[in-house]
Amino acid sequence: MASPKIMVIDDENIVGKMLKVSFQREGYTVETFLHAEPALQRLSEEKFDIVITDLKMKDIDGMEVLKRIKKESPDTKVIMITAFASMDTSIEAFREKADDFFPKPIKIDELKSRVKKLLGD
Amino acid sequence: MGAFERIRDKLTFWRSKKDPSSFAVLFDRFQTVLKRNNEILEIMADMGDKLGGDYVFDRQYIIDITHRLNDQVYKIIYDLNMLSSQKYVDLYHAYERIHSQIQAELEGKIAYADERLVIDFEDITQDDIASVGNKNASLGEIKNVLKLSTPDGFVLTTKAFYDFLVQNGIDELLENMNIDLERDGSALEALSREVRDKILNGNIPAQVAREVRNHVSAFRSKFKKEKIFFAVRSSAIEEDAEHSFAGQYESFLNVPDDKLLEYYKKVIASTYSVRAWGYRLQKGFYEHEISMAVGCQLMVKPRCSGVLYTMDPISGENDTMVMSATWGLGVPVVSGETPVDRYHVSRDAPYVVKHMNVVHKSEMLVAKEGGGTETIEVPEDLQHKPCLTSDEINHLAHVAMLLERYYKRPQDIEWAIDEEGELIILQSRPLKVQLGYSGEFCMLPDITKGQGIIFEGRGDVVQRGVACGTAFVIRSDEDIEKVPFGSIVIARHTSPKLTKAIRKALAILTDIGSPTGHMATVAREFRVPTIVNTGIATRLIRTGEEITVDATQNIVYAGKLKELCLYELTQDEVFEESYEYRLLRRILRKVAPLNLVDPHDEKFKPKGCQTYHDIVRFVHEKAVDELIHIGEKSSKWLSSGLRRLDLDIPLGVSVLDIGGGVDESAEGNLIDANLVRSIPMKAFLKGLCHEGLWGSEPVSVDLGSFMSSLTRTFSTSVATPEQVGKNLVVLSKEYMNMSLRLGYHFNIIDVYISENVNDNYAYFRFLGGVTEITRRSRRARFIANILEQHDFRVEIRGDLVIGRLKKLSKKEMEKRVILLGGLVAYTRQLDVLMKHDEHVNHYEEEFKKRIGELLN
Repeated sequence: MASPKIMVIDDENIVGKMLKVSFQREGYTVETFLHAEPALQRLSEEKFDIVITDLKMKDIDGMEVLKRIKKESPDTKVIMITAFASMDTSIEAFREKADDFFPKPIKIDELKSRVKKLLGD
Repeated sequence: MGAFERIRDKLTFWRSKKDPSSFAVLFDRFQTVLKRNNEILEIMADMGDKLGGDYVFDRQYIIDITHRLNDQVYKIIYDLNMLSSQKYVDLYHAYERIHSQIQAELEGKIAYADERLVIDFEDITQDDIASVGNKNASLGEIKNVLKLSTPDGFVLTTKAFYDFLVQNGIDELLENMNIDLERDGSALEALSREVRDKILNGNIPAQVAREVRNHVSAFRSKFKKEKIFFAVRSSAIEEDAEHSFAGQYESFLNVPDDKLLEYYKKVIASTYSVRAWGYRLQKGFYEHEISMAVGCQLMVKPRCSGVLYTMDPISGENDTMVMSATWGLGVPVVSGETPVDRYHVSRDAPYVVKHMNVVHKSEMLVAKEGGGTETIEVPEDLQHKPCLTSDEINHLAHVAMLLERYYKRPQDIEWAIDEEGELIILQSRPLKVQLGYSGEFCMLPDITKGQGIIFEGRGDVVQRGVACGTAFVIRSDEDIEKVPFGSIVIARHTSPKLTKAIRKALAILTDIGSPTGHMATVAREFRVPTIVNTGIATRLIRTGEEITVDATQNIVYAGKLKELCLYELTQDEVFEESYEYRLLRRILRKVAPLNLVDPHDEKFKPKGCQTYHDIVRFVHEKAVDELIHIGEKSSKWLSSGLRRLDLDIPLGVSVLDIGGGVDESAEGNLIDANLVRSIPMKAFLKGLCHEGLWGSEPVSVDLGSFMSSLTRTFSTSVATPEQVGKNLVVLSKEYMNMSLRLGYHFNIIDVYISENVNDNYAYFRFLGGVTEITRRSRRARFIANILEQHDFRVEIRGDLVIGRLKKLSKKEMEKRVILLGGLVAYTRQLDVLMKHDEHVNHYEEEFKKRIGELLN
């Protein structure tokens, strides 16, 4: 079986870098994007199993990214991450069918086990 | 409102109150200090954790957590000053200093560590990294901590660099540049030229020039020479850290001392070469992160020199190191211009040469008379000769492995051997190695299969990582000094004093201790794999035993698991390549290092605080002191509220309950002992009233002893009337402070026990007696022995015994306080009985027998 594909979208370089290394070590294929627009473009070309996206980004809001993914590729799981976690935003994210919601800083092990679960391992 | 106005306001507020607060209020304040102390240590642990690679964090995290930390540190200083009637306002200065440095980092200003412009290599350690740059800090550490031979000399600091930029207006130029250098190559070229011109034509600040001249003339007179020659080397912040920057900045050899400043400018200018600048942009560095310190090392005249890699970065063979060597200066080895000798040597003693390739060396680079270098012909007889003897290979290999173990990474080492045959280390920096494992990452279970496990899953991991080495068990404070480099340190409990040993340690295991204590913070800072609270490490492991600590999986193996360590050594640390990571690490350097270790040290003052950790350590120590002191004098506040404790033994004790120390159902002036709820007091009473310890028969005093007591006066420390007169105990749920006069001696017992290990402490002071000093000293020794056997740190001065204990779990603390109770009861009149030295042992055994059942 081909390795599961993960996309990370976050306008802070470090987030993509760290997640890429961590998930590659586990055998996933990982692509990272600093901006939402090219990420969505890429998603229209190829199917990803999981998208991990920041909620607050400069160009397109993470919530918008979530809506568009869920509309175009409902099977793709989406995990929202944010440094500004509040009850309201997380409720809204879940209402828009986010599969999970992580406040930053994120413990990588927890994210990993969440990803595994979502992929049904 | 600035910090000092705020302080002034608070001072006025304080003075306006006529009466200092009641003991209960002060005690509350003390508890706040404890709470904050824990909170701060937890914040620091949290920040340290984030550097471990287990978390994803961003800039917002750094801003938030730093803000929380600033706030708590400021408030803990305020609390201590409230507790101590403003005895420590100087701490605010220390706070302001550190705070503004952290702020500068966050705001992206060029930061320098302190005001020093020039520092001698003899005074440099890793702590000075922000002043002298990575390369120089590492050289200083090698010289002054590892005590290996490195060139003498001095460093022009990042502050000197900063002053130079400011004096010549270059800082403004850099701040105001408004071009996208990454995309616009020609703009970078133009700016690079402009900045370099400004630097090369710039004026050296007068103070910098003066200090350099002073250092040069000191070396001139030391070596009795008219002219001294230097190697002038770049040492930027972050250079040689995770990014190698190899060859990005310029260095110059054999510079005559009168041209030092000219070449200093050349090195600085190379910071802004198109190549170096481009490299930084490509790696995502911001300009304010760049600060250049310059090392001026006395020129070494080497017979031969070269480079050593402690692992073969190319073949990935994990049991081999590679040495390259040539005659004369080592530049050709580094630049790869000419063929050089190459030796493949085993990484393990006795360092067997596995492969040797000796080439024909016709030319060599040497120092030219008057300055600079020149290439000359190698004498005929040396051209085909290997540069290194087998002894030299062996010694070099040994030193290289020492450096690798110390820095916990494969090393890239520049070395030289002088005419006298002495090995000199010129530089040592991390080497990136990809191991030749088949998969992307090797399987841990394969490596560890079949290895004997000493224990696993015990205790709390403080810092993850793997190390194998020889165990060294610390049994006393003196042992801390004796820890050999590269040992695995095993200790009974964590202690700030252990921080001295952390640099020498490959890993640390303790029986007892807190993962957020002071020592843990430092272990994290130095990335030393550490597990605390194992409960059994000192019992299961002996000094000299070879073990492997896997603090990632929380397993300790018997024997050396070399594969596991290699795996650890070569783990790629990509996280370290991002700006946020570097920013957090730089901030943590101003937060976490602990310099104030020993309260008896003269540097243990607000002025000596260089980091937030120092401040917090200082505050904690002084807060406990204040409380003990307040407790001693508390009777002056006790006009009312005193009740008596009803005990089975003939002892009158007055009780002041400041909250939760006595059950609410207790009525009237006499409190039943069963209604005491204070955790430490309950434990203390258990020991004090235990049958067989409180001897009911009074001891007959021989006449000599009695006469001596009549002529004796109480020493000043116990002479205040309120102390002599009364047995008093101040209680809360977690706290007791007892002043006790029994017969002719005087005790103070001050204890705090809660569920939070970090808060817990016990203080025990014992003085006086009826007999002459020899017998009293015997008893002091008896008490000291007992206390030491139960983990107290003990000081004896004549017949005064002070025992201190900190940070054990609630259960362990209770046991120790039961012991104190027993000890107080048992020793009431023991001095009278101690006619001979042998009695010390006799009564020790007797006491252990009697107290034994209570402690199990």
